[in-house]
Amino acid sequence: MTPPRFDLPQLGFGVGLRTPHFAHILREQPPVDWFEIISENYMDTGGRPRYILDQVAERYPIVMHGVSLSIGSTDALDFDYLRKLKALASQVNARWVSDHICWTGVAGRNAHDLLPVPFTEESLAHITARVRLVQEFLERPLVLENPSSYVEFASSTMPEWEFVTRLANDTDCGLLLDVNNVFVSAMNHDFDPAEYIREVPHNRVVQFHLAGHTDCGTHRIDTHDGPVIDPVWELYRLAHNFTGRAATLLEWDANIPTFPEVHAEVLKAKRLLAGETVPSLHAAPVSRGGAPNPIAHMIPEVA
Amino acid sequence: MNTPSTTPSLDQLQRWMQAVITHPDGVAAGCGCAEACEQIEVTAPELERVLTRSQSLPAADRLAVYSHAYTARLIECLREEFPALVYTLEPELFDEFAIGYLERYPSRSYTLHHLGANFPQYLTETCPADEDPRWVALLLDLARLERLYSDVFDGPGSEGQTLMSVEHLARVAPEQLASARLVPAPDLRLIELRSPVHEYIRAVRRKQDPAPPEPAETFLAVHRRDYTVRRHALSRSQFVLLSALVSGETVGDVIGTWEESLAADASDLASSLQDWFRDWAAEGLFQRIDLPVA
Repeated sequence: MTPPRFDLPQLGFGVGLRTPHFAHILREQPPVDWFEIISENYMDTGGRPRYILDQVAERYPIVMHGVSLSIGSTDALDFDYLRKLKALASQVNARWVSDHICWTGVAGRNAHDLLPVPFTEESLAHITARVRLVQEFLERPLVLENPSSYVEFASSTMPEWEFVTRLANDTDCGLLLDVNNVFVSAMNHDFDPAEYIREVPHNRVVQFHLAGHTDCGTHRIDTHDGPVIDPVWELYRLAHNFTGRAATLLEWDANIPTFPEVHAEVLKAKRLLAGETVPSLHAAPVSRGGAPNPIAHMIPEVA
Repeated sequence: MNTPSTTPSLDQLQRWMQAVITHPDGVAAGCGCAEACEQIEVTAPELERVLTRSQSLPAADRLAVYSHAYTARLIECLREEFPALVYTLEPELFDEFAIGYLERYPSRSYTLHHLGANFPQYLTETCPADEDPRWVALLLDLARLERLYSDVFDGPGSEGQTLMSVEHLARVAPEQLASARLVPAPDLRLIELRSPVHEYIRAVRRKQDPAPPEPAETFLAVHRRDYTVRRHALSRSQFVLLSALVSGETVGDVIGTWEESLAADASDLASSLQDWFRDWAAEGLFQRIDLPVA
């Protein structure tokens, strides 16, 4: 067992908080270890989403997971955004704050996607400096996730795992190791996912992400719309062997089933680590397309 | 500008990639657009100088995943925010408007909540001059009201606060009332429409397959209670009076203007006002009543 990272708690097995489950969670108070929220969905709202979150935060540990920090962008850091992020983290007692190693837009725009960075010395220096600034501003370690990606830059001079490792070691940040993203990117870029898992700095892994994805034949897309498949479970088990027990979170963002089904899927991780064999999908569903990594959007309730 | 023989900077790569993947006509057209070429001059067949190919896919097809995702994700968000507009225009035409909108008003916010904020404005700007004005009015009203619902749903509210009640109002001495100001609830919005699209939107949301409404001047107070958006139909007189109160005028000034502009019969005034204020207070439209300092 590795010691706790950054004095952060080992939260157990959590689920992403999503709109279709609000009523069930408040009514049934299911025995979930913790919830992860999409930070941006709750930062500015004065309406029902925030009201729900405040109630959930009274009963469960909350982790904030952002999609718009844009740590890799060449635009200036948005300190208005960071102020709101910090305030929300304080208000809901977020156990940690995470985002992605990516950029989401430039020249003032937001593409609302997790866009890849080239793995070069220039990007590494750029992102390292920004992570330090953000950590100083938030007064807590940032936890950064490896996103799924669909292109690689010809200018890259190192593999992704090396970029992630150097970034984490240079900034002393935590890592959110998304094993589904490792698998998806490995299939898309023809690298060995097990090597990636072996090489990242295990003592910095604070959290795992699990999710389903789509097999488009020539590539995989991180659609978060189904159960975790066998090869991803295998990677998870491998990663766990190296890291010891880190918090584990299941993401399910499209074709969302009932809450008990989503919860049961993440509890497979617990059973797997206990040595049980769990029923799972052998392969990802095949489809010609799909949009990667859906980002939850709130729909108004009108009487 | 960067040619493929030299290594582009991080900033050039990002500006180039954003220009390509957000181009409405796809990757090949995106590579050729001026915004992309200002950063990196490379055609779609030459893309592998900037992006690698995989064993299964050429670089252009890999980049198209992001191009497709950009359009698909943001159009889906707009469809969710404007369901009655989608129903009225039909999805294909709605998507054409949405693509044009994203080109003219790309997202500049960290949250998708703001994505549709300029959609009513965009429809106003791009409305063809020869289009049937009743049809245009319907589309603009739908866009304005559906966006207003999002704003009210997500904006500041008065849940958990004590609002002005009928009893509060009844306790105000008659001699103080003329100088009093009513402070609206933070979620209260007033909107004037050219047809009763609120009923039409409700029917669309309930999948009742409604016909478009006939033109009829419509005035609504839109607000939120218990985190759900509510609509309160108003007469023209009520709308005029309520608008003046919301703008901060005193009760006395509002009544004076109201009598003048509507030539209201003074004998009806007192009873009408009593009923209206009681209804509005019961509906939670006002936070409090500010009385003049003695």
